[in-house]
Amino acid sequence: MKVLLIEDEKELALSILAYLQKESYLCEAAYTFREASEKIDLYKYDCILVDINLPDGSGLNVIRELKAKKSETGIIIISAKNSLDDKVDGLGIGADDYLTKPFHLSELNARIKSVIRRRSFGGVNEIVFNEIRIQPDKMEVFVNDQAIILTKKEYDLLIFFLSNKDRVVTKESIAEHLWGDDMDLADSFDFIYTHIKNLRKKIMDKGGEDYIRTIYGMGYKFSRT
Amino acid sequence: MKLLTRTSRYYLFVSLVVFIITGIIFYHLLLHIFYRQLDETLQDEKVLVEQTINYSDSVPDFRLVFGHLIDVTILNNLQKKTEHFKDTLLYDSEEGKFLSYRHLFVENTSFRQKGYTINIYKPLRETEKLVTEIVIAISLIFISLILVLVFVNYFIAQRSWIPFYRTLHNLNIYDINQEKPLVLIPTNTHEFELLNQALEKMSTKIRQDFLNLKEFNENAAHELQTPLAIIKSKMDLLIQDERLTEEQLRLISSINDATTRMSKLNQGLLLISKIENQQFAGTESVNLAEIIDKTVGQFEEMIDHKQITITRDISSSVNLHINRVLAEILVTNLVSNAIRHNIPCGSIHIFLDSKSFVITNTGLTLDIDPEGLFERFRKSGSRGDSIGLGLSIVRKIADLYQMEVTYQYTAGNHTLKIIF
Repeated sequence: MKVLLIEDEKELALSILAYLQKESYLCEAAYTFREASEKIDLYKYDCILVDINLPDGSGLNVIRELKAKKSETGIIIISAKNSLDDKVDGLGIGADDYLTKPFHLSELNARIKSVIRRRSFGGVNEIVFNEIRIQPDKMEVFVNDQAIILTKKEYDLLIFFLSNKDRVVTKESIAEHLWGDDMDLADSFDFIYTHIKNLRKKIMDKGGEDYIRTIYGMGYKFSRT
Repeated sequence: MKLLTRTSRYYLFVSLVVFIITGIIFYHLLLHIFYRQLDETLQDEKVLVEQTINYSDSVPDFRLVFGHLIDVTILNNLQKKTEHFKDTLLYDSEEGKFLSYRHLFVENTSFRQKGYTINIYKPLRETEKLVTEIVIAISLIFISLILVLVFVNYFIAQRSWIPFYRTLHNLNIYDINQEKPLVLIPTNTHEFELLNQALEKMSTKIRQDFLNLKEFNENAAHELQTPLAIIKSKMDLLIQDERLTEEQLRLISSINDATTRMSKLNQGLLLISKIENQQFAGTESVNLAEIIDKTVGQFEEMIDHKQITITRDISSSVNLHINRVLAEILVTNLVSNAIRHNIPCGSIHIFLDSKSFVITNTGLTLDIDPEGLFERFRKSGSRGDSIGLGLSIVRKIADLYQMEVTYQYTAGNHTLKIIF
């Protein structure tokens, strides 16, 4: 998997690269429009993360170039401009997703995986983690090949965990992922706890292992150990 | 009271007082003149009577000569001569009533060693009538002059004040948020032109300051996004470290909470400045009932969790011509507010018809002044985790579409009403 990050803010770019390198991605970064333009000319990427405001051009033009080449690359816009126009423009010319700064790296990671999954036609469209198997197109979850029924929130939560397995995900990032920005955080933490408890129970009922660990004060970690 | 009415009223009042005083003076002056005239005539007649008596040494019937009453009496003993005028009432047998006369009374005048008393009466009726007629005529002229002057003055003033009212109207409809600066219609009245110039100069300055402030707000909020994004991303990386102790995690957690809070604040401020800058331009016909249903659906868990009962009285045919995103923000803020400031096992009632959108929720009394409820960062002290921008965003959106927002608290119920 090759991912290109187009972001002029070096520190943010470094954080994103550091986070994504732990996945099995080959990550590259471009800090200017020209660099980005050269890179997409020379190489083929599975996913491109593009900032709209670049010092020497608009990220939207990078997307237009890609689309002109009939590229199959997944495109996620990351922009500080929380403006509806940008979002509509970006999605209108063919971006797959739109993420507003500041965002959680875990959220970005989940979005990348989702875009790549959607883009890989006929390929491995299944998420498998030990005894847990998910068919995202049908929203079905199996534990030890037995189907389990999850609520929408529990399903979203499981996908989010699996996208960020072996990582600490904060309560805030889970809350924002499940309910969006409008939710009152303090209240939503209670619901997260309830959802996690239910999810854990449903997986363990079918003989699954308990993978969800609580990280003191911060959040949770979904991992093998 | 209008300035024009006030000046006209004073004008009329003063004119009236002057009119009454001069009227009285004029009347007496006139009367005085006529009396003097009358008295002179009487004097002349007396001289004639005296000469006649002196020449003829007898008393003829003077009435035939002068046509009015002259009475001469012969006296036996002579005393000192006196002569004076007075007003007298005499009975007129023809008319059957008393009439007033001017009366010259001469006593002890003597001709050829004989004493006489001469009484000459001249009727005052004609004179009085004449004086009255003159006074009435003059009064009529005077009153019409005053009325004409007052009206003319009124209309001239009214015309002269037109530029002033035009300026006032322009000031009233001027919105500092709009694109162009205040432009007032020029006038050739020097004072109003000075006023216009002063107002234009002042409004340009205010507008410039306002725009600078707005721009600063927007830039500040916008520029803060990047460092916030960096902090957040570094934090996400930092917490992945397995070696962190519980104490370190606790510190990071606090930093994280504060950062999240700051990030939300910043987003709220950005949103407000975007609404103020009218960056949500596109409007469409938005069905509010749908948005309410969707929003309540989003908050379902929270509503269940707090065991809040929701009742709805919603007309499904209410369509507003507004920006969809803002409509969603408006409803979301109001609903989340009603949930957040509710009591456990409380209730929320949502009402919608073509005129208004009302959301009522149970809750504790406000510990802040309801007047300041819609101001930024005004929040109830007991809720440290709310950022205090929700209602100010609601107000901004309502202002944008000329809707009215009101708040009321009665018997444990908070009511927020938006009137379209």
